[in-house]
Amino acid sequence: MTNKQIASRLGQIVLVLLGISFITFCLIMLAPGDVVRQMIAGGEDIVVSQAEIEALKKELGLDQPFFMQYLSWLGRAITGNLGVSFMMKMPVTEALWERMPGTIILSVTSTILMLLFSIPAGIYSAVHRGSWFDNIVRGWTFLGVSVPGFWMGLMLLFVFGLKLDLVPIVGGDIGIDTLILPAVTLAINMSSKYTRQVRTAVLEELHQDYVVGARARGMSESHILWKEVLPNALLPLITLLGLSLGNLLGGAAVVETVFSWPGLGRLAIEAITYRDFQLVQGVVIWIALMYMVINLCVDLSYNYLDPRLRKAR
Amino acid sequence: MKKLFKVSAAATMVGLLALAAAGCGGGDKKAATAKANPDVLKVGVTNFADSLEPTDNYFGWVVMRYGLGECLTKFDKAMVTKGWLCDKWEVSADKLTWTFHINDKAVFSNGKKVTGEAAAASILRTFEKAARAKSMFEYESIKGDGQNVVIKTKKPVPTLPGMLGDPLFIIIDTTVKDRDYRKMGPICTGPYAVESFTKAKAVMVKNEKYWDGQVPYKKVEIPSIDDPSTRAMALQKGEIDIAVNVAPGDLALFQGKDKFKVSEIASLRDVLARLNVKKDRPLSDLKVRQALLRAIDREAICKGPLKGTFFPGGPYMAPSTDYGYKDLYASNPDKFNVESAKKLLAEAGWKDTNNDGYVDKNGKNLELDFAFYSSRAELPICAESTQSYAKAVGIKVNLKPVDYNVLDKIGREGGADLIISNVLCMQAGDPEVFMNMYLKTGQEQNGCGYSSAEFDALSDKLGVEFDPAKRREIIIDMQKVILKDAASLVFAHPKTNMVSSSAIANADIQPCDYYWVTKDIKPAAAK
Repeated sequence: MTNKQIASRLGQIVLVLLGISFITFCLIMLAPGDVVRQMIAGGEDIVVSQAEIEALKKELGLDQPFFMQYLSWLGRAITGNLGVSFMMKMPVTEALWERMPGTIILSVTSTILMLLFSIPAGIYSAVHRGSWFDNIVRGWTFLGVSVPGFWMGLMLLFVFGLKLDLVPIVGGDIGIDTLILPAVTLAINMSSKYTRQVRTAVLEELHQDYVVGARARGMSESHILWKEVLPNALLPLITLLGLSLGNLLGGAAVVETVFSWPGLGRLAIEAITYRDFQLVQGVVIWIALMYMVINLCVDLSYNYLDPRLRKAR
Repeated sequence: MKKLFKVSAAATMVGLLALAAAGCGGGDKKAATAKANPDVLKVGVTNFADSLEPTDNYFGWVVMRYGLGECLTKFDKAMVTKGWLCDKWEVSADKLTWTFHINDKAVFSNGKKVTGEAAAASILRTFEKAARAKSMFEYESIKGDGQNVVIKTKKPVPTLPGMLGDPLFIIIDTTVKDRDYRKMGPICTGPYAVESFTKAKAVMVKNEKYWDGQVPYKKVEIPSIDDPSTRAMALQKGEIDIAVNVAPGDLALFQGKDKFKVSEIASLRDVLARLNVKKDRPLSDLKVRQALLRAIDREAICKGPLKGTFFPGGPYMAPSTDYGYKDLYASNPDKFNVESAKKLLAEAGWKDTNNDGYVDKNGKNLELDFAFYSSRAELPICAESTQSYAKAVGIKVNLKPVDYNVLDKIGREGGADLIISNVLCMQAGDPEVFMNMYLKTGQEQNGCGYSSAEFDALSDKLGVEFDPAKRREIIIDMQKVILKDAASLVFAHPKTNMVSSSAIANADIQPCDYYWVTKDIKPAAAK
C-alpha cells in the first residue's frame, strides 16, 4: 500500500463513520414509539407522564427539527465531545473508557486461546486427514459452531465453577480467575470456525502443484509443510482474524451477561434498551472504528507478509 | 511435533471425560460445605444504576436497596406507611401543612444529627435536581424547625407521608460537598456506608454510627449478576449468601432444602389487560366483556403455563396489599365458567350461524385484537392462553405483538381491544394513581373509553380523603365497581423472591422492593 492509498483509506474511514453515525441516529429517532419515554423508563414498562416526557425533550434539545438535532450532535462529536449519557449520567467518552479495558482484555485473550488451538489442530487434521484425531476435531468443531454461546457459558460455569470449583461463578471484576471462562467460551466458538478454515486452507495448499514438485525434488515433508504450505495457507486467514477481532472489540454481549463481565457488549445492549442515543452513537462509532482500523492494519500487514504485493508496489 | 499433538489430543480427551463425569455428579455438595462468613454478607442482585446519586433516574432505589439510604417514612409488609427517620407526623386542619418529627436518635453516617433543617434541605435538593419530584406533589414551603420538618403543600395531598417514603426522597447530608456522589454515594443514615461502587459490584461497610440498633455485618459485598441462572449457581456454590429474584425455573433447586430458605411474596404488580369499551368496539357490550372474562381460567394459567409463579387475578389490587383481595377474589362474579360465557354471548346476540367455530352477529365474527409485548415472558403466555380459551366460547382473538413503547401509544389511543401490561399497582405506598390511571374519565392513559359516574365519584372522594381507613374502604369500593362493570381483565400477580443460605437469618423479601439489605439480616446464630 502506498502512502496515497493509506491516506485514501483514512479518508474513507471518516466518510463511513459519518454515514454510520447518521444512519444510527435515524434508526434510534425514527423507530416506533417515543424515544424520550423509553429513555426515562428504560426496559421497564412503567407509566411515564406526558409532562415528564415534554420536559426532558426540551432539556435534551429533542424538540428541535431532526436534522438540527443531528447537526448539533455532529458539531460536538467533531470536537471529541460525544455528549452525556442520559442513562449513566456521565460523558459518553468516559463510559466507553470505563468499559474498554474489559473488552480489550477479553477479546485479546480469547483470540490468543483460539489461535493456540485452531492453528495446530487445523494443520494436524489436514496433514492426517481421516485419522481419529481429524474425526475428533471435526466433531468438536461442529459442536462448537452449533452450540449457542450463552449455553456453552452456562455449562462451563456449571462444571468448572459449581461442580469442580476451579473458578468463581461471580464475576464483575477483571481478573485472571474471572477471565478464564468467558475467554474460553468465546474461544471455543471462534476456534470451531477457524480450525475448519485452517484445515481446509492447508488441505487446498497440499494439493497444489508446487507441493507435488517439492516432493518430487526430495524436500522433506516438514520443510514443505512449515516453509511452503503454511505461509500460503494462513495468509487469507488474517483477513478473517481481523474481522473476528473487530467483532469482539465491539463487545460480546451474551457472554458478558452470563459471566457478569464488564465490557462494551453489555453497555451497548443497555444503551439500546434505554434508547440512550448519545451512548448508542458512541458505542456504534467505536465498533465501526475498530472494524475499519483493524482491517486497515490487516491490509497493511499483507505488504509485509506477501512478497508478491511488495513487488507489485 | 507428532508426539506433542498426540499428548494434546489425549489431554483433551481426559478433559472431556472429566467434564462429563463432573456434569453427572448430583446435588450441590459445595454448598453443603460452604459456611457463611459472620463478618461479610454477600448478596447477588441485578443492578441497573450506574451512579449512587439518588436524584438521577431511579437510582435512589439502589441507594436504598443496598442499605445506604433511608427516608422519613417506609412501608411495612402490608404496604402501610410507617415512620422511619421520623417517628410521628400530623397534618393541619386545612390539610395543607404537614409536620414530621425526626427521631431524636437519628444521625448521618458522619455522626451529624439529622435535624428538621437537614431533612428539609435534603427534600429541597431533591426538588431542585429531579423533575419527577414535582409530579408527586407541589410545595409552598419546606422548612426545618428544630426536629420538625414542616411542609406546606399547594393543595391537599392525602398521601404525602407515603410519597416521602419513595427513594427519591432519601435523606442525605447536603452540607457535604466534596464527595463524588456517583461513586461514593451521599452521606446517608442507613446501616451501611459505601466503600466502593461500580455498576458491577458494590462494597458496603458497617456504619459505625448507625442510629437504629446493631449493624450485624462489617462488610456487605453486592455483585450484580445479571443472568438469573448464574445467580442461582453462585448461591448453590456458596459464593453469595443471598440471591434476590431467582428465576422461576431455578427456584426448585432451593425449595425444600435445609441449606436454603426461600422467601416468596406477591409483588405489587398486576398483569392486566385494559379492555377497550369504546362505542364501536365489541367489548363496549357488558355481556361480551363478562363472557370473555368467564371464558378464561386464570387459576389454570397460573398453575400451568406460569408454573405457579403468579397468584391468579380478579380484583384490581395485588394480594400483598391491604385492599380486600381475598374477599373480592371470592366474590368475583366473572370467575371461569364456560357455559355461563356462552350463555352471555347468546344473550348479547352473538351466535355461530355459519358453523365456522366463531360466534357472529350481522354477518361479522366476534373478533378481538389483543396487543402485547414480549419483554416480560408472562405476557405472551397470557395472550396466547386468552386466544385459546376465547376460541372455546367462539371468540376469535387476533394477537398483535408490539414493542412496549408502541403499546403505550396504543393504550393512550385505544388502538386494540385488549392491551396487556405488567404494571405497578402502588406508587409511593398508595394505589390512587393506579386506580385512576386507566379507568377514570379523562385520564391521559385512559384511551379505552371506560367511564363510570360511580367510579369517578369514588375517585374524587378518594382524592380528598386523608383518613387511611376510609381511603381503604373507598379503594375497595372502586374495585367492586371495576368487577361489576367487568372493566378490566386482571390475569395474575407475579411473585417475587429472595433465596438465602440457611446460615443467614431474616432475609425476607418485601412486597415493595426498596428493601433488600437491611439491618435485620444477620448471621443465623445471632438470631
